[in-house]
Amino acid sequence: MSNSDINNFMKRALELASEALAAQEVPVGCVFTYEGTIVAESRNSVNITHNPTRHAEINCIDFLLDYCRNNNINYEHYFKDIVVFVTVEPCIMCAAALNNLKVKEVVYGCANDRFGGKTVLNVSDFYKHNYILRGHLLANEAMALLKQFYKGTNPNAPESKVKKAKQ
Amino acid sequence: MEIGPPVKKLKHSGSYCETSTDIFDRYIQLIDNKKNLKAVLSDEFDSPLKLVKVFVGHIKDVKNISKTILALNQKIPLKELQHLKRVRRQDVILCPTNFFNDTSSIQDFIECYVPELKHVFEYFKQVEVPLNPPKIDRHFQETKRIWSCNFHPNKYLEKLTGDEFFPPYDLKNHRLFMKVVFEVAKFYSIKYNIDSIDSTFKNINATIVVDPNLQTIVALSFDNRQAHPVQHSAMLAIDNVAKTQDGGVWNSKENNNEYVGVPEDVLPYLKEKFPSLKYYQKEYKNVLEDKIKSKEGPYLCTGYYIYMLREPCVMCSMALVHSRVQRVFFCIGNDECGALKSKTKLQTIASLNHHFEVFTDFL
Ligand SMILES: [Zn+2]
Ligand SMILES: [Zn+2]
Repeated sequence: MSNSDINNFMKRALELASEALAAQEVPVGCVFTYEGTIVAESRNSVNITHNPTRHAEINCIDFLLDYCRNNNINYEHYFKDIVVFVTVEPCIMCAAALNNLKVKEVVYGCANDRFGGKTVLNVSDFYKHNYILRGHLLANEAMALLKQFYKGTNPNAPESKVKKAKQ
Repeated sequence: MEIGPPVKKLKHSGSYCETSTDIFDRYIQLIDNKKNLKAVLSDEFDSPLKLVKVFVGHIKDVKNISKTILALNQKIPLKELQHLKRVRRQDVILCPTNFFNDTSSIQDFIECYVPELKHVFEYFKQVEVPLNPPKIDRHFQETKRIWSCNFHPNKYLEKLTGDEFFPPYDLKNHRLFMKVVFEVAKFYSIKYNIDSIDSTFKNINATIVVDPNLQTIVALSFDNRQAHPVQHSAMLAIDNVAKTQDGGVWNSKENNNEYVGVPEDVLPYLKEKFPSLKYYQKEYKNVLEDKIKSKEGPYLCTGYYIYMLREPCVMCSMALVHSRVQRVFFCIGNDECGALKSKTKLQTIASLNHHFEVFTDFL
């Protein structure tokens, strides 16, 4: 994978994070790649689903498990070649899920001081298989989106909706 | 429901082979006892007191004690050891030994920083004192034996660390819900013909979500990890709670069931086994809507109790943190990847934004 590919994948993840922000969701976006091609992409969808576990990574995992089932692909083999690009360091839950699925590599944007699966608790200590973890790719862009969300200053959202999201 | 005397574990004879139904029935009987549950608390509650080495000076003349304390508190305050009294009889804490490397220099240190005390001490020694403030009476008693200290008793924490936390009525309810968990697991194990079940219940789990105020089952689920590695029972249960709020993502086909969070197939079985159990119904929605409008926010498991057959893994435990559940009860420990007791204790990580209580010791 070339450096420009890697940058482009993270830029796509950032676009998805912006979509989340516009939808009053915590702005985290994610793409899963297989042999250098995007095979799944998603963003946080906790508020719309009323399910606090619907993080971008879980949505992508779900999508690919369906894909594998529908195409008779062994998901255990398939996930071993997956490289994940996510704008924020995966949380403890997502890190555990990704370790469990034995993905190859995870590249993230900014660190996750609140829930990070490395920063808050090193989840890789609990799994035999660990993915390669790299961070700080376009971290400022990822962080800027989070800051916008937590300040509730999303310029695209009507004011009432911003308030609603913060409730 | 009548509660008989605790049933002793059956002995395995070499020839007799327990079926998985037998195993579930045996556990359901074992759960039916009167022993109180135990909270799973941070390590400091069951490990010995943490100690730190300090320099202590022995004051020659008792008349100098108050003057010495005053001077020391001013010039060498003990920031990290506020819980300890500075003086015990004629011994006064000067500073932690890690203030300087050279042990012979304590006299020089005093002469340099508190010259007025340079002739006050008869001798110096190193003493180990408790590093942290005592949180419960037992710690206080232990600490006092080593050094005089301050203690602010916390009634709730005393109860939580004691042997009688739940009153009999509550205890009976918790044990009843845990029996429901095992019946759910039994039902699905038979339905899906899972016969590889042993006493560690590896690879299966069942979860129920209870609203303790309404005493109703809001949602329940049985593990589907064999088919879908993220669909552990806690993850499914959280999604089933979301369905009671017109959310949810998995198997979102129209459920004609009046109880949206409870799968249709298991319901008749549970109604027969536990005729008096109540389930969350759509009419309760007003209660839920009030809850959402309240300060608690859109975290739908706020205030709910979770009962699980096995200790949840790291993923599921963190999912329960994200869901803001109030209490988690589990029956069987999970030595491989349990994150509430066995491998780590997620509920004790101070920097996380939500902390639930965890109880176990059903058997
Ligand atoms: Zn996550
Ligand atoms: Zn799990």
